[in-house]
Amino acid sequence: MKRKTKQWFKLAIVTIAVTTLVLVAFPAGAQVKIRFQTWHWGEMPVFKELEEFQKTFNQTNPGIEVVRDDSRYADKESLFITQSQAKAAADIAHFTYRPIRHLADRGYLMDLTPFIEKEGGAKFLAQWDQSALDVCRYKGKIYCLPDDLNPIALMYNTVHFKEAGLDPSKPPATWDQFLDYVKKLTKGDRWGVGIIGARQEGIFMRFNPWLWGTGGDYLTADGKRSALDTPESLEGFKFYVELLTKHKVVPPGVIEQGAQEVRTQLAHSKVSMIISLPSEPGIVQAINPNINVREVMAVAPLPVGKKKVTSTYFSMRVISAFTKNPDATWKVYRTWYNKETQMRNFKIAGSLSSRLDFKDSPEVKGDKFAQVFALQTPYVKLEPLLAEWPKIGDAMITAIQESLAGIKTPQQALKDAHLATNRVLGVQ
Amino acid sequence: MSASRTWHDRHLGPLFVLPATLMLVAVLIFPAAMTLKLSLTPEGGSGWSLTLIHYIRAFRDPVLAQTFRNTFEFVALSLVGHLILGLALALALKQALVGQAFFRLIVLVPWTIPDVIAGIIFRWILNPIHGSLNPLLRAIFPGFPAEFSWLSSPTLAFPSLIFANIWRGYPLVMVMLLAGLMAIPRELYEAAAVDGAGRLKSFIHVTLPGLRTIILIVLALDMIWEFRRFALVLTMTGGGPGTLTEVLSILVYKSYFEFFTFEYASAIAILMSVVLFILSLPYIILVGRER
Repeated sequence: MKRKTKQWFKLAIVTIAVTTLVLVAFPAGAQVKIRFQTWHWGEMPVFKELEEFQKTFNQTNPGIEVVRDDSRYADKESLFITQSQAKAAADIAHFTYRPIRHLADRGYLMDLTPFIEKEGGAKFLAQWDQSALDVCRYKGKIYCLPDDLNPIALMYNTVHFKEAGLDPSKPPATWDQFLDYVKKLTKGDRWGVGIIGARQEGIFMRFNPWLWGTGGDYLTADGKRSALDTPESLEGFKFYVELLTKHKVVPPGVIEQGAQEVRTQLAHSKVSMIISLPSEPGIVQAINPNINVREVMAVAPLPVGKKKVTSTYFSMRVISAFTKNPDATWKVYRTWYNKETQMRNFKIAGSLSSRLDFKDSPEVKGDKFAQVFALQTPYVKLEPLLAEWPKIGDAMITAIQESLAGIKTPQQALKDAHLATNRVLGVQ
Repeated sequence: MSASRTWHDRHLGPLFVLPATLMLVAVLIFPAAMTLKLSLTPEGGSGWSLTLIHYIRAFRDPVLAQTFRNTFEFVALSLVGHLILGLALALALKQALVGQAFFRLIVLVPWTIPDVIAGIIFRWILNPIHGSLNPLLRAIFPGFPAEFSWLSSPTLAFPSLIFANIWRGYPLVMVMLLAGLMAIPRELYEAAAVDGAGRLKSFIHVTLPGLRTIILIVLALDMIWEFRRFALVLTMTGGGPGTLTEVLSILVYKSYFEFFTFEYASAIAILMSVVLFILSLPYIILVGRER
């Protein structure tokens, strides 16, 4: 019995050793697989643009295979950070502009400058909006190229407008008009507008235009202190939260509502307006195939407070510092950013590219929705590009939720956010 | 021949245990050691330059203090709920009922559902517009508001979370208490009945003393699990409204993955572990005594 055990044990050791040797000596195939990570793999209709890109690239580039790598919008950073800690991150990952500098500081991102130099340097970079490109420049290096730059606008249901006695060709142009419209549109179990209150990144795109529209801001002009204690900031903050707390023109449970909930509300006629990205008409259509978005919905610039300003959904792809195939990865990356791919993405999912040759193209100008979104680009403002931004943003979300829930008055909540911001900035 | 048999006797056992030991080191001891090291590293630093700055900051952080309070409240109420519900069901399931096996199976279902799914289910149930709870309450109480916000309410968000956590976690407590109940000798109940003890007195003087050790073990283990509860809180409330339901696991997650302060997050995680160890001492002493 013990001799048999010894024999089995020796056999097991030999099998493990041989298997390991084979796997190390003969790696599977010569195909280079490039992991293309984004949360959009799980989101229609944007998934279709990715699927098309993957198919087209793989067919035209034998030897390199673009492989789907899923993340989720809520955990795209945590996934990439965890993978990077293990030096096993996806070759190409997708983020909004906010974490780029943090990821670069931790050494997780590849400096693209050498590749860009080979492509022509400044001439290559001239294809993109330079202010968008500035977000990718950090400490003398370039860590990304700007992908989609999607200014925010107002999407509204024209049928609801008509039912409420409002002219769909005259959307609200000022805040006063906006308030008037949403009150008229709110009746029964339908509300005038859907807004976000959930603790997620998407809240800033929808909230910031109200903060900035009165002349308020997060920081002073020199970026050294909080500006949340100004009357202008309070006015904008109050306007947003009082849509629920005072005017009741927003569905209850706002604190639980994120971007997808609000789109779903519009898709199922629970709300008449939302603060929208260019890709949202397509998403709303995908949520409710029975609604003809192109016929029923319209898009207009955000109503203007004291200044015309909007925010943007702005994302970029990065290359992992730990990619094992930098040249093949750059080839995939560069192909994603070329005009052909970016235009195809727009046609499939409505994404607006940061490429300069894109916004004036006939395809964009001829699209009912895209032309309105694209025209907002000059009014786009970004949040402060500071390392401290995540904590400042967190303090603002806390203030918004505390006001929406009635835990604090808007004045007290914003004051606490102001104090928290100054603490983060090291201001006494 | 007898020498190699001796070699087998000495080395075969440890060799079979070796893969599991290596796995334990890889997934438990190594990450814990790395977390400790990270917590002592200056922000953005590397190598062996060590500092206590993150711990000093933690002790001065009012947000962390509030989060600790939230966590203790969350754990205490969950433990009480688990114990009461678990014990009640264990007592019920100990009876000879028709369909006893079926009921014993059904009551385990909440425990089989992952935290994330449970959190999403409760979000749907409690949704003010589309949830199933509000219409049900309106059917029973016609005056109940049509679109009542549970998770957005400053007074009800925390209780809603506790309720979901109690529902999710009671089965394990119930199973352990049921095993404990079955181990109490029937003769003790018979003797108590002979002495004139009713059901309540039997429960107080026979059942509870008989379950004392199991209850302590259950409380200790449950406390450790509830202290680390993350996915349920994240999916149900995200720590909101504001920071009313923010527990330590959420703060560690935010500090690490949203604020990119890896070192501070590690310090909070180490402090959590220290507190848990202290609170688990009665359990550790009890297990040590039993050996």
